[in-house]
Amino acid sequence: MRIGIDVGGTHTDAVLMQGEQLLAATKALTSQDVLSGIIQALRQVIQDAAISATQIQSVMIGTTQFTNAVVERRELAPTAIIRMSSPSGEGLPPGCDWPTDLVGAMQLKTYQVNGGYLYDGWPLSPLNQEEIHKVIADIRVSGIKNIAVASAFSPMNPEPEFQVEKLLKTQIPDANITLSHKMGKLGILERENAAALNVALLPFAHKVVSAMLQAIHNEGLNCPMFISQNDGTLMNAQFITQYPALTFSSGPTNSLRGASKLTGLKDAIVVDIGGTTSDIGILQDGFPRESNIVISVGGVRTNFRMPDIQAVGLGGGSIVQDDGLRIGPQSTGHNLVKEALIFGGSTLTATDIIVASGKADIGNARFLQHLSQNTIKNARNTMHALLDQHIDMMKPSSKPVPVILVGGGAILVQDDLPSASQIIRPENAAVANAIGASIAQVGGEAEAMLNYRQMSREAAIAQVESQAINNAVAAGANADSLKLADIEETNIPYMDDGNIKVRVKVIGDIVFASDKGA
Amino acid sequence: MKISVQQLDDLALGAVFLATGGGGDPYVPLQLAKQALRTYGDVTLLNPENLQDDARVITLGGVGAPTVSLELLPSLTEASATLQAWQKHTGETVDAVAAFEIGGANSLLPLIAAATSGTAIVDGDGMGRALPEAQMMSYAIEGVSPSPAVAYDYQGNVTSFSTKDTATYERHIRALTVASGGMLTTAEHPMTGKQLKRAIIPGTLSFAIQLGQLLKQHKGNAEQILPALQELFETSLYGTCRLLSCGKIIDKSTQIVGGYDLGQASIMDFSDTNREIKISIKNEYLLAREGDKVLASVPDLIVIVDYETVQPINAERLRYGQRVAVFAVACPAFFRSEKALAAVSPRCFGFDFDYVPLEEIPT
Repeated sequence: MRIGIDVGGTHTDAVLMQGEQLLAATKALTSQDVLSGIIQALRQVIQDAAISATQIQSVMIGTTQFTNAVVERRELAPTAIIRMSSPSGEGLPPGCDWPTDLVGAMQLKTYQVNGGYLYDGWPLSPLNQEEIHKVIADIRVSGIKNIAVASAFSPMNPEPEFQVEKLLKTQIPDANITLSHKMGKLGILERENAAALNVALLPFAHKVVSAMLQAIHNEGLNCPMFISQNDGTLMNAQFITQYPALTFSSGPTNSLRGASKLTGLKDAIVVDIGGTTSDIGILQDGFPRESNIVISVGGVRTNFRMPDIQAVGLGGGSIVQDDGLRIGPQSTGHNLVKEALIFGGSTLTATDIIVASGKADIGNARFLQHLSQNTIKNARNTMHALLDQHIDMMKPSSKPVPVILVGGGAILVQDDLPSASQIIRPENAAVANAIGASIAQVGGEAEAMLNYRQMSREAAIAQVESQAINNAVAAGANADSLKLADIEETNIPYMDDGNIKVRVKVIGDIVFASDKGA
Repeated sequence: MKISVQQLDDLALGAVFLATGGGGDPYVPLQLAKQALRTYGDVTLLNPENLQDDARVITLGGVGAPTVSLELLPSLTEASATLQAWQKHTGETVDAVAAFEIGGANSLLPLIAAATSGTAIVDGDGMGRALPEAQMMSYAIEGVSPSPAVAYDYQGNVTSFSTKDTATYERHIRALTVASGGMLTTAEHPMTGKQLKRAIIPGTLSFAIQLGQLLKQHKGNAEQILPALQELFETSLYGTCRLLSCGKIIDKSTQIVGGYDLGQASIMDFSDTNREIKISIKNEYLLAREGDKVLASVPDLIVIVDYETVQPINAERLRYGQRVAVFAVACPAFFRSEKALAAVSPRCFGFDFDYVPLEEIPT
């Protein structure tokens, strides 16, 4: 048995699962200290399912705490960035395009030194020991303990980052270090940003994870804890203390994965309708489709693995105008319960329209008697057209795709959506996120720029795949269960045709303590 | 006239529109250009007509693979160092720099060179849009020799060229790019003021700023912006501007063949779902067809924008489901001469038909 917990901004949800079966579910308000809300949710599901805490094999948590820390500029440690790519990129120092309040909150210090490689494996410039030692001495004097290290083409050859890490560890033994190649793809600016945000969060991550582990232990659970990351797979507690930034968009991911679990569908569109927006995402083979564009986190460009989410300004609280011809993006938000007509307020909202149509019994329908049939009809058409249009934009191809509706605003959809082959409203849709968190799989990814003339395509892919497998095992996967999830090959325009960027992703089951012992 | 840091966002936006789907993401060059102008001040923009006949002008820009520049970042001083290397190599001093192409990131590099070295920039470029090869530039078409030219790499290595013609130069510079880590800055196609006046597509830099301003300030969708766009293009050296279709991308596929992004996109019209426009892509959007009927073709400009926001969409970002509008704009008259069409006609891109100017195609 396992427990899935989703810590959101407003709600902390928990589910207790046995295999595919949902034994108990609870929805509580997120507490100020976060932790007591988690403990309460844990106790509730264990009690509801009438089981013993020792029967729990693992706890999986999805949390927005690290994203919120960056967005709200808190819990960020003073940070230094060392970039090895000089003489290229001079005049474009790390952090030069960051919001100034974030630079301030992180007390950011940046350095550009020689080092790194070119796309073909030739050194960009040799590492200069004297130069590096001066930088390290300066960091030591400043008292900064959190250091991000990036070198050009490190996803292909991370050696310079390892060398600097080694020197840092001798000179500043208590330093927290994040190497940029561990944060993923090509694009040095985005990669070093990701490494810097990650390293700045490390002290907070240690605090959060040790508090969570302590809480689980205190509740009498003797099992491992996992945290869900952006791509819908899980990392173990030890891993998250090293890579907290990999949780940045786990919220929408868990809602997508949970919708897949609730319906058994592997390929579908998931629409999570809330009070203000509808978030539309794509499930491909059971996992969220990732975005290709540069994603900003707290105003910083990053290359995190993020699900491709289209947010539409339509939710239960969206304000209806122009006789129903215009709805949203303005919304009553969480004031819906005061401002909507059905609750005695004076604002016509999308929820009022559904109640007036006789499709839902919320609040008091008598407050809606003055609405004209024309307004109701127009508003229903407007809502459906808006959703349909955006769902259609997100479709991976023109083939019909089923649409799964989750979230409190799912009642807004009452009519047909031409873009959907069918509309599915799963039971327990309200705890889809916690169910998503409880799915026990981990992934590993690797990427390299290779030349198919220097090695065969098969050998090249095998080389990247073995790196992906190592990454997956490091993240807690059972090596025997790993399967190849994705291969992406990208040629580089204008270059020798043999040069290819190869990206491989593998996915497998988590190793539970009980498996290891037995 | 001067170009100031406040105009750079507009310039970059206008340049992406004129890049007709190619040209790459100008994010990093835009950051450098802003720093250059903040540090060194405004840049003097010269009307080509005001150049002395014996003035010395050099064209400048980047050559290479956009993917490489994700890691091998450009430097603030690279463009001006390229200019200095050319001056040292030839022993001449230039009076102004000019752009290869206004489309995309190469609209910003000569501006960085001009700012950091205190030189003026000529208002104009060699393409009026983006095109993939050096021999397609108006400078080459007008018979300007590519050399003496220098290529400058990130380490400050300088290679000089003394090459007979631009087609040969294009082959040599590509080979050198591969051996230099994938990116180079070059100073090439030197001209006198007299030569430049005949060979340049004039006014495109200030035009890109105007166009960027219009795109940024105009509220409304592609159909609503059309009259304003038409007015701007028809009173410029471009000409006719048509809205070919508003619709949804129902298919897009590209492959890399021979160093190009080669492929096709299909757009289903909003108002008539039986109407399907096909766009042929070779780095840039080169051809718009409805069935067998050509609606617009290179060297005229084909531009795809987001239908709602009118933001131009680069070919690598185009994908299924986007709601877009397709504009066609008549290219500058220069590219319609027999001599120019020998370098840029649809046949030069492997299409089996002759060029028909946009305004002669019945709607």
